[in-house]
Amino acid sequence: MLGFLARRLLYLVPVLLAVSLLTFLIASLLPGDLAYVILGDQATPEKVAALRHDMGLDQPIWWRYLGWLGHVLEGDLGRSFRTGQTVLQAVSERLPVSIELMLLAEGIGLLVGVPLAIACAARAGGAFDRFVTGTAFGMLSVPTFLSAILLIYLFAVELHLLPATGYVPLAEDPLANLRFFVLPALTLGLAEWPTIMRVLRSDMIATLQEDYVALARAKGLTPWRILFVHALKPSSLTLVTVTGINIGRLIGGAVIVESIFALPGIGRLIVGAIYTRDLVILQGAVLLVAAGFVVVNVIVDMLYAVLDPRIRHGHA
Amino acid sequence: MGAKIRARNVASIFLVAAFAAALAAAPASAQKQGGSITVGLELDIPGFDPLKVGVYDTSAETAAAAIFDTLTTLDDEGEPAPKLAVSWSHSDDFKTWTFKLRPGVKFHDGTPFNAQAVKENFDRQKDPANKCRCAFYVAYIHDVEAADEMTAVFHLNDPQVNLPALLSLQNTNEVMQSPTAWKTKGDDYSRNPVGTGPYILKSWIAGDRMVLEKNPDYWNKGHPYLDRIVLKPLPDAQSRFASLQSGEADIVWDDEADPDNIQRAQKDPKLTVHTYEGSGAQVSAFNTKTPPLDDVRVRQALVMALDRKKVSQAITNGLARPATNPYGDGSWVKCKDDGALPEDAEKAKALLKDYGKPVEFKMLVTATPRGRTIGQVYQQLWKRIGANVEIEQVDQATIPPRAFMRQFQLTPWRIVDLADPDPQMYANFHTGSPVALANYSDPELDRLLEHARTTADLDQRTEDYCAISRLINKQAIWFWSFQNTYYAISNARLKGLPKMYGGVIDVSDAWLD
Repeated sequence: MLGFLARRLLYLVPVLLAVSLLTFLIASLLPGDLAYVILGDQATPEKVAALRHDMGLDQPIWWRYLGWLGHVLEGDLGRSFRTGQTVLQAVSERLPVSIELMLLAEGIGLLVGVPLAIACAARAGGAFDRFVTGTAFGMLSVPTFLSAILLIYLFAVELHLLPATGYVPLAEDPLANLRFFVLPALTLGLAEWPTIMRVLRSDMIATLQEDYVALARAKGLTPWRILFVHALKPSSLTLVTVTGINIGRLIGGAVIVESIFALPGIGRLIVGAIYTRDLVILQGAVLLVAAGFVVVNVIVDMLYAVLDPRIRHGHA
Repeated sequence: MGAKIRARNVASIFLVAAFAAALAAAPASAQKQGGSITVGLELDIPGFDPLKVGVYDTSAETAAAAIFDTLTTLDDEGEPAPKLAVSWSHSDDFKTWTFKLRPGVKFHDGTPFNAQAVKENFDRQKDPANKCRCAFYVAYIHDVEAADEMTAVFHLNDPQVNLPALLSLQNTNEVMQSPTAWKTKGDDYSRNPVGTGPYILKSWIAGDRMVLEKNPDYWNKGHPYLDRIVLKPLPDAQSRFASLQSGEADIVWDDEADPDNIQRAQKDPKLTVHTYEGSGAQVSAFNTKTPPLDDVRVRQALVMALDRKKVSQAITNGLARPATNPYGDGSWVKCKDDGALPEDAEKAKALLKDYGKPVEFKMLVTATPRGRTIGQVYQQLWKRIGANVEIEQVDQATIPPRAFMRQFQLTPWRIVDLADPDPQMYANFHTGSPVALANYSDPELDRLLEHARTTADLDQRTEDYCAISRLINKQAIWFWSFQNTYYAISNARLKGLPKMYGGVIDVSDAWLD
């Protein structure tokens, strides 16, 4: 198990290097010159040249990348030219918001998706299965910006049950915090459950056709016991993968939902950094999110090992 | 700027009644003390240190208006009125201005406000070692001298007849910040600003909310009215409006790009739409050194083909107000004749026929939905008169470098809302200026621009600027599409908002009815 973990962690190094290189390249290729952004509309060519020199923007890109990487390896991700905040400050201020949103959304997705998948798989092809599969297909096609606005109009503007926008830190007032998270988490959860449901349903249907399930039936075990005890665990490998990928995606990917509900999370930090050409924040935040994504994937790999002993023992 | 600055031949002293009740324009009985409001802004505020942020955006200006004070303010007529300065006078050549400061004012950290503080604020921006982006906007100031404890003397490089009005902006250059605070806090100062204003920064969660609490020792006794102001960035226009409807926000920023909600709010008795028809305009510049735009007939034809009403309908449900000159309804420059070319497609066709050669060129547009729509509407209008225009979509940040390097044929630009037309008109049109984008030089235009900036008489200056407008319109080197208009929507209980000069939502003296 330890060897497995060590191998996994070793993979992290090239992956993160590749991510950092890509981030740096893409950020540098963004149109618009940072010197002009900082100096504003009224910059003169001489001032621009001077500032570019000061910021090292006149150096070749590979040299700037190596310089940046050197600082990152020393633990210095840099400081925003705009706010004066360090990348670590900016990210750590916003990370709790994104993580809470991600966990709640994924929780809602699993809470809705898993029971529905089991119910559907139990009577595959039945009326309930067809209805749920159809609904899931419909929900998959609804973009989050639409469902977010519909939920806001229903619950905030019409019914006055929940706030439309805003945020209260968890430590300040847990209940109020939860109230602010209901609609955004619901918006994301509504988009998450169909994938979860579909993946688990098809795996369960396959598992339920295995010989050992037939044997269990023949032994006279209750259908309930067969579904939950014998079929669910072996069917959940793909589910774990999908959940893991979703979690990684949601850490930095809830951009639209964070903007609509005005949640101060990582997604909005990154979008703001792009708009203002705050490359230091952009590169740093994307690198940290990518690192998070990779770590989640390592955890997922380890969960495989827990779920399936064949992987653990290295003969999968 | 009403026509109050008349030339006084000798020792032209221009005194403002020292304790004019300029800040309390509304009847005194109406205001109520107490309460708290939430303001929904468009953007995250990056910070307040000029050296860090360079120039405030409209969201930061709303906060700055509450935390800081300026030397002057503009009253409802647009006249400069006292704030941290109680009176002022100027030399004959308008190159030296003397401001008497309000005694007994303290910054939130206890630092006394005096001439030295004013001097240090400007010194810091102008210091070349600080490389502040803000320095450009105070380039006309040579230095500020602390003549005595309560007298600040501005020595200018160029004459500036409207200095008190220019100093009223709630922006990086003009707000008075505590020198002690920026010296002791260093890098942390930007997010822990200290001013003399009616509100004190209490807490600030980046990207979420900024809480401002009433300054109990504010120099203007009886003000402010509200106990607390909460500022929140709400980036999405739909959910921002929904927050107002559901009562989570009391006032929200808005703009013409969101006409549906503005028009809905205008019909809603529970909401008030605040609007200010400012000065300046959205404009475009032709590069007159590139054919076919080097021919005045082509440029005139293109401008005549613009049906601004139709464009406004297409992009803003008709909210955008057509512009025929660079000054706008909010400016004190009012022209009987601004020389606007007629909107006449037939005449335009005739001009192009006269030109004889095919007209093809590229226009830059910003790669935003609004930029694209504008580009497409112009393209259609110009196609009708026989001009083929190719649209090149570029990122917003790409436009300034392309414009500075003159790598364009037609580029969008903006004339922002300032109290005086001089800084921008001189920069945009005087020969040799880096932003004289049209690459066009005319001794008469230069003469008028120089005359307008050194003349005190307002009627004379108006005449100059109208002549400038006629000249530019006739040569069609730039054209103006829409005037700057600013919007905020509040619940009907919120009162006491001044005019949104420069597009700033200033809630620092507001109250709840």
